Amino acid sequence: MKGKDFYIDIVTPSRTVFSGEANKFFAPSVEGYFEILKNHTPFLSILKTGRIVIAQDAVKKYIAISSGFAEVLNNRITVLAETAESSEDVDVERSQASKERALKRLADKSPSIDVERAKVSLLRALTRLSVAEMK
Amino acid sequence: MATLRAIKRRINSVKGTQKITKAMNMVAAAKLRRAQENIINARPYAYKMKSVLNDIAVLTDPDIHPLLEQREIKKICFVVVAGDRGLCGGFNSNVLRRAESVYNEYNEFERSVLTVGKKSRDFLKSRKYPVICEYINFFRALKFSDAQHIINWIIKLYLERKLDKVDVIYNEFKSALRQEIVVEHLLPFIPEDNKEIKRQDIDYVYEPSADKIMDSLIPLHLNVQMWRILLESNASEHAARMTAMEAATDNAQEMIENLTLLFNRTRQQAITKELTEIVGGAEALK
Repeated sequence: MKGKDFYIDIVTPSRTVFSGEANKFFAPSVEGYFEILKNHTPFLSILKTGRIVIAQDAVKKYIAISSGFAEVLNNRITVLAETAESSEDVDVERSQASKERALKRLADKSPSIDVERAKVSLLRALTRLSVAEMK
Repeated sequence: MATLRAIKRRINSVKGTQKITKAMNMVAAAKLRRAQENIINARPYAYKMKSVLNDIAVLTDPDIHPLLEQREIKKICFVVVAGDRGLCGGFNSNVLRRAESVYNEYNEFERSVLTVGKKSRDFLKSRKYPVICEYINFFRALKFSDAQHIINWIIKLYLERKLDKVDVIYNEFKSALRQEIVVEHLLPFIPEDNKEIKRQDIDYVYEPSADKIMDSLIPLHLNVQMWRILLESNASEHAARMTAMEAATDNAQEMIENLTLLFNRTRQQAITKELTEIVGGAEALK
């Protein structure tokens, strides 16, 4: 199989994380993961923390993102993410540390802990770590 | 003719000034490097955001969100972005002059001004422009929340229909040697022509729903654009200051050289004069 079916740009406020062609795109919207193939209808969605998978023929690329938007239009996909890291860029040590910190906070039952925030940061850390493993 | 002492004093004073301009030049160069990095990294995101918003404005029904709505323009607000500090060549004065001329072009509308930066406020207030809001003293440590403050205020006024159109006038950073003054249209959305998509093309499939997406996407877009504008202006300011201070240092150097020449010439003259007097005196004694 050969094909460059659409063009993907993944940008964050601090840099462009990915820019290139692919034939499969897989991303987490707030209503669940979705997959985009060639000639998809115009599509606009809010993304949540999760894993983006970009497939170019047999080569797969994994990117961890935290909230953002995705637009699909005329075989162009634009992802505007708050943060995004591909598997090579993830800082494993930092993610590990923030995972442990979040777990500790969740284990602590004191009312001063913002449970929602701890959960969000735990989810982010786990996503990053899972992406880092996909190298 | 100036005395030797007066010339010497003047040389020293120019040397002192030169030290200051040189230091400012180096500080500006260091700050420019960081500011330049920031703006260059922020641009792709802001541009992509803008193009997504443009697609939306072309494809969707403008009634979907109050910020996309098209209405008759009566009240215009000009956001004038200048610096907090001077000594940066034409940076402030150029943007302010441009702001004045743009303001005067729209004399058939009800106009107001929102100033960003001390120089912008001082200038426009002293000339009695209708300044509705001012933001000062944040270029030293620029934060994303600064852009959010400005945008929240603009969105509020826009939704209350106290403004129908918002234009931003600022310095765009082209390179360390070139800044360009830009008048950018912020609100309302005017979809630009795009060859690839047309209004009759089908609307998006939204997930979760159109108004939820618009509610978070449009304010974010405005924040990001304002953030980019502040970064552009900040980088331009440092670049302008660096250039201006480099020119000032060169001028001081030239002045020092001229004064030193004058100093030496005067000293030579004084010696010659003394010698002639001594020789004259010796002659007279013969």
